[in-house]
Amino acid sequence: MNALARCAAGLLLSTICLPFAALAADPQPTTEFTLDNGLKVVVREDHRAPVVVSQVWYKVGSSYETPGQTGLSHALEHMMFKGSSKAGPGEASLILRDLGAEENAFTSDDYTAYYQVLARDRLAVAFELEADRMATLRLPPEEFAREIEVIKEERRLRTDDKPNAKAYERFKAIAYPASGYHTPTIGWMADLDRMKVEELRHWYESWYVPNNATLVVVGDVKPDEVKALAERFFGPVPRRDVPPSKKPLELPEPGLRQITVHVATQMPSLMYGFNVPSLATATDPQSVNALRLISALLDGGYSARIPTRLERGEELVTGASSDYDAYTRGDSLFTISATPNQQKKKTLADAEAGIWRLLDELKTKPPAKEELERVRAQVIAGLVYERDSITSQASTIGELETVGLSWKLIDQELAALQSVTPEDIQKAARTYFTRERLAVAHVLPEEKTQ
Amino acid sequence: MSQRNESRFARTRACSFALAVTFGLLGAASAMAETAAEAPKAIDKAASTLESLKELDSKAPARRSLNIQSWNTAEGARVLFVEAHELPMFDMRLLFAAGSSQDGATPGIALVTNAMLNEGVKGKNVSAIAEGFEGLGADFGNGSYRDMAIASLRSLSAADKREPALKLFAEVVGKPTFPADSLARIKNQLLASFEYQKQNPGKLAGDELFKRLYGDHPYAHPSMGTAKSIAPLTLAQLKAFHAKAYAAGNAVIALAGDLTRAEAEAVAAQVSAALPKGPALAQTLAPTAPKPSETHIEFPSKQTHLMLAELGITRGDPDYAALSLGNSIVGGGGFGSRLMTEVREKRGLTYGVSSGFTPMQAQGPFMISLQTRAELSENTLKLVKDITRDFLANGPTQKELDDAKRELAGSFPLATASNAAIVGQLGAVGFYNLPLTYLEDFMTQSQSVTVEQIKTVMNKHLDADKLVIVTAGPTVPQKPLPPPTDKPAEQPLGVPEH
Repeated sequence: MNALARCAAGLLLSTICLPFAALAADPQPTTEFTLDNGLKVVVREDHRAPVVVSQVWYKVGSSYETPGQTGLSHALEHMMFKGSSKAGPGEASLILRDLGAEENAFTSDDYTAYYQVLARDRLAVAFELEADRMATLRLPPEEFAREIEVIKEERRLRTDDKPNAKAYERFKAIAYPASGYHTPTIGWMADLDRMKVEELRHWYESWYVPNNATLVVVGDVKPDEVKALAERFFGPVPRRDVPPSKKPLELPEPGLRQITVHVATQMPSLMYGFNVPSLATATDPQSVNALRLISALLDGGYSARIPTRLERGEELVTGASSDYDAYTRGDSLFTISATPNQQKKKTLADAEAGIWRLLDELKTKPPAKEELERVRAQVIAGLVYERDSITSQASTIGELETVGLSWKLIDQELAALQSVTPEDIQKAARTYFTRERLAVAHVLPEEKTQ
Repeated sequence: MSQRNESRFARTRACSFALAVTFGLLGAASAMAETAAEAPKAIDKAASTLESLKELDSKAPARRSLNIQSWNTAEGARVLFVEAHELPMFDMRLLFAAGSSQDGATPGIALVTNAMLNEGVKGKNVSAIAEGFEGLGADFGNGSYRDMAIASLRSLSAADKREPALKLFAEVVGKPTFPADSLARIKNQLLASFEYQKQNPGKLAGDELFKRLYGDHPYAHPSMGTAKSIAPLTLAQLKAFHAKAYAAGNAVIALAGDLTRAEAEAVAAQVSAALPKGPALAQTLAPTAPKPSETHIEFPSKQTHLMLAELGITRGDPDYAALSLGNSIVGGGGFGSRLMTEVREKRGLTYGVSSGFTPMQAQGPFMISLQTRAELSENTLKLVKDITRDFLANGPTQKELDDAKRELAGSFPLATASNAAIVGQLGAVGFYNLPLTYLEDFMTQSQSVTVEQIKTVMNKHLDADKLVIVTAGPTVPQKPLPPPTDKPAEQPLGVPEH
């Protein structure tokens, strides 16, 4: 169905069907091209300030890892700062720091990305260093021996000593029974303990090639100059075949799974996760758009249903949230988390009952028109606000491209959500919010051994 | 609940001249000597291998020029405004001298008052207010810290969105009704937060540190107050606090975005007129220097959190430029700082270590913070102290200083690249009563700082024997530190070529 037909078909989200361009600023010029070696480049112009962000996204992350080798992608990310042919260990960071650049990197289930934000006249330096480590990473064993200790400190800091992060890691492991998404990105401690630099070399050689990467540049640049620089620095990096990679697919209805985790907390809490498709795996994209809309209805703002009803109305919880990431490479998870209101003597069971009331209502009752208008207003405004940050624009483009979608989806976001009908919402709720798709974690205080 | 990204170093490097409002706990500066020569070497070598670097001229990069306009409203609020028509949106930030330093005998009242702003206005309860903003696509934000309390609005600039959003915002900030049921709920939510904090050794150590550092000064207690201090707060107390601390004379209005000067004046006038009438509150008094101390909090974690601090400087301190550069060299600049090099890069002891000055209305802290595995904590603490002592004794090298200056000049364009960044800068300039040329002045001053000056001012403000130290972690048998790696020898280019 084309956009107009959808519009006529009784839209949920809008009373008037204005094209997006009439509501916000003109779309920003965005250009894409692919170098001969397979490196995909997306350039978005933003001439507000003489700055630019450059990001290189590799299609590899913890969902590509096998048991016993968890944490490889993230460890390799750390080692990418330990020297290549043109810069010794740590030197690239010093060079970039010296130029006033912000730089860092991040790893997730689906990708590993590196970025620099800097004055526009310095873009070539970012490209030269990034291209150099794409082709000639050294991976010195003595550097690895120290860096793996840093990574273990990172794990202790961000997971082991954080009760809720630790519980979430366990929860994720049961929520994804079939796919690599059960692997924590930082890796299990036992795997960090036995990781070898040779494994990193193999990982690097397998995945770090131009034809497995996307270069995203947003800022005060012209596509022609970026193309010339990209060809000059990234162009000579040879193409090489990468191992076949498969979308992480889940069992559609794995069955109810429940885990009880005792951690160093005083506050019981719970996590819910329903196995659902993503935009990249759904046979019916409309179900994904419906889930996104549901996520907005539940927790898209302080006026959404979870804060209004569970937190303020019934005061069942002191805090709760829902989340759905439609932009994953494989099947996704629709999550809800909640902390029961202890002062009001509410239990985990009370909070769960409240969550189910919200979910069951979605199955039977169409949302109010005003609610949908609010979601629409937030989407429209959010698209403008996102453009205040060149980094957030680049990240959206990079993530979409890396999970197998197109950056062009950004400009279709509003139309996609507007196309959702009340029937779509009810159908999605009935299909996905079932016990067969549900993983539950009860996070409880440690039991005293006396 | 989504916690998907793992980063090599999670802390975003604060812009060196982070004017953007610093809220209390951000850290800042210290140093070390034998590494001094290394960073420069790296750059020199890279300059010879990197084509792009050779082609780069040494000029400071271009940046977006900021035409800051400023005036006072009829009721006495100071306004700072930057016109930016590129995107059809605007940002407004109101800053009140209404942070926890104004709590007096009721710790937490500033934060609770701030949290209650959007809980009720005439004819609207909390949900209706949220629906009002969200139905326009507007973002309302609030927050309360030690010096300041903030209320902010981001909205599309089209009149049919802007006008109703502003009307609601003005009511929320100026004429909140403080409903009783909301207060009960917010107290409950704060009690839950206190419970959560008990599982966070970093937070426990931070609270203890401020207590040790500030004694009976208003900065000593956490902005959230405590379970004990929150419970008895009454609606009457909140209303009285709002009437004096959210007065127009105690407010600064920062505005950036798609507004003409005339529109900006109207916006500021509307908001200012809605506020209670009244003057600025008295400035926070200077704290007295604390006694050096070392406090340990027993906590069953895997890591030990280490914090080392002294009183630092006020926002208006003339030494700030030199201290900021000195701090950047010691521990403020992320990778390449002496602390990061010695503690993480050479020994793998920590994921992150940083130092920083947080200039505030009264002397904010200078703080070094890090975490390491418990069995190495004592020796790591010693290492960090040695690094600090060494920097104070010997100062930076000329090369370190030149690099830090170049970095600062290079990062300058990033400080004004977005509306969000601009409104942050405006807010700080306004709140701390800095000249409108502050950013440029800071830059100019920084470029003329000398090695001697850094050594002098660092020692004027810091003393390695007067550190207030707090650690939190388990008590375990201690082990020696691994030996540092020397700078790795020149390596052959024999990396497999693909």
